[in-house]
Amino acid sequence: MTKCLLSVKHLKTFSVLKHSTNALVAIENDEIKPCVYNRNPRNLERMRIAYKPTGFHLEAPGREFWHKIDVKQNNRYVTASVIHWTGPKVIEASTKEWAIKKYLYRCTDAAAYRNLAKVFAQRCLESGISNLYCNIDAPPEGKVAVFLSEVEKAGLSLTEPTRFLPWRPWDRHRPEKPWEVLE
Amino acid sequence: MTSVLGRLLYYECAVPLVRYRHFLVGKPPGVARSLEQRLAELNYKDPTLHFKVNIGFKPPVPPKASSVRKELAALRCSKELEHLARTQKLEIPLEAVEETWKTTGAPFHIKTIAEHYGVFQDLFGDAYFYPVKPLDIDYKSGDLYHPVYRGNVIKPSEASKPPEVQYKSDPNTLWTLILTNPDGHFTEENAEYILWFIGNIPGCNLNKGDVIWDYLQPFPAFGTGYQRCIFILFKQDQKIDYSSMKKDIPCLQLSKRTFKTEDFYRQHQKDITPAGLAFFQTDWDPSLTDFYHNVLQMKEPRYEYDFPEPYIAPQEWFPRRKPFNIYQDKYRDQKAIAKEYLLKKFKNRHPFEKPPTPLRFPNAHPIDHKIPSWLKEEMKKDRLGWGRINDY
Repeated sequence: MTKCLLSVKHLKTFSVLKHSTNALVAIENDEIKPCVYNRNPRNLERMRIAYKPTGFHLEAPGREFWHKIDVKQNNRYVTASVIHWTGPKVIEASTKEWAIKKYLYRCTDAAAYRNLAKVFAQRCLESGISNLYCNIDAPPEGKVAVFLSEVEKAGLSLTEPTRFLPWRPWDRHRPEKPWEVLE
Repeated sequence: MTSVLGRLLYYECAVPLVRYRHFLVGKPPGVARSLEQRLAELNYKDPTLHFKVNIGFKPPVPPKASSVRKELAALRCSKELEHLARTQKLEIPLEAVEETWKTTGAPFHIKTIAEHYGVFQDLFGDAYFYPVKPLDIDYKSGDLYHPVYRGNVIKPSEASKPPEVQYKSDPNTLWTLILTNPDGHFTEENAEYILWFIGNIPGCNLNKGDVIWDYLQPFPAFGTGYQRCIFILFKQDQKIDYSSMKKDIPCLQLSKRTFKTEDFYRQHQKDITPAGLAFFQTDWDPSLTDFYHNVLQMKEPRYEYDFPEPYIAPQEWFPRRKPFNIYQDKYRDQKAIAKEYLLKKFKNRHPFEKPPTPLRFPNAHPIDHKIPSWLKEEMKKDRLGWGRINDY
């Protein structure tokens, strides 16, 4: 079995800005390098600086997202999922699952949609994904609209923040850096 | 003469209304490959060389349709359930759903999301496992519980004390629990900081295990963003002697906490099998300043994301239709520009007196008409606080 050690493609460079204050030097922790590599592939998306594909101007449906919500129904079941722009389906909840199915009367009725939304939202929040892009054009008071409203009620946001682009010296404004704003 | 000059000026300024010959570069669309196809070809990896190896336990098998058919049939005929569903009052018990999910779909779902977070790639290289053992990990701060799921955010101040860890196990079995942070190592690129390591745990009694590295709270540096802290539970086949790895307690020297899960797993792979996985993300919060100074006894590092430099085209001798001042500022020494702005700023500022009150309607004040227009623009921009004046 060949194992190649950790790919470097997700690594993003950070350079040291400044050291804050002096401190006692009893434990030798002060020898650090000017660069730190954060290998977390979701980090830049959370910091709002990751690349988002823009697609073509008149393309429909648009593809400017990091994570997209997708709801699909077939004759038997409803499946809600989160899709990353690179392709993979990362979170999934379906009335096909025995855990959900065993409490439902029918697997595609409005009650199923509403309850699936709760489970789906819970899984998204537990996975650290709280902002999703949504391009579902649901007829009002339909089952999908019920699903979407229930998902929002459970604490998910159906809009994604815009990408932060660094300002250049010739730009007019200096927008605030998202990572410097403390919640 | 004038007419020639006029025509020249016309060609210079007007939008060209010329329709050029229609031509195609390369093959026509439909025949040529799309961008997606070309990228797929570029990123193709040979499956005989690039494959992943399952190093864990077998995932659970979902209940067979025949075994649940009776139960389902009863649900479909239930009048009470039908009434609830039709009147939109059917609420499924979320906790019970989660309990069933833990033993059926959870290993698959946790593996998928862990792959999305690059957990296996960064910790085990080309190996993966199904987390068949559900882990209940709770950080308790005050009266609040902060559970660890699979990527939720927990602040360092909430994770300052070791969490409560629960999993179902036979008291005669032995387990190893590690907590590791693969992001934000201060000196090495592909290394981790081990935050907690307990070996030879009988059942789920963590107090009776051997503490190799004591618990250290996560300490993501300012500006590095969100770092993953990953709990992995290994099942041991026999008692393992970890005494060579053991560090003095408390271990506060970060270089002694450098760890590589892959190396550790390779060393003990005959005796351990990964069974459980949970992880959270954490980012800087103000409580860490104190932690860096008093516990780690180091200067608090501050980082900033290193954006790529913007592309600036090579300078032309005769740039056309470009404002000369804005154009030339791109190629000037940035320090000279800074000096210019600073000198201008200090010239109007008395060292001991109050700074002048900002103008209420900045552009209502007239500017001498003899001043050239580009300089007027610059003055207006400075008055409004647009552009470079913000930097100095």
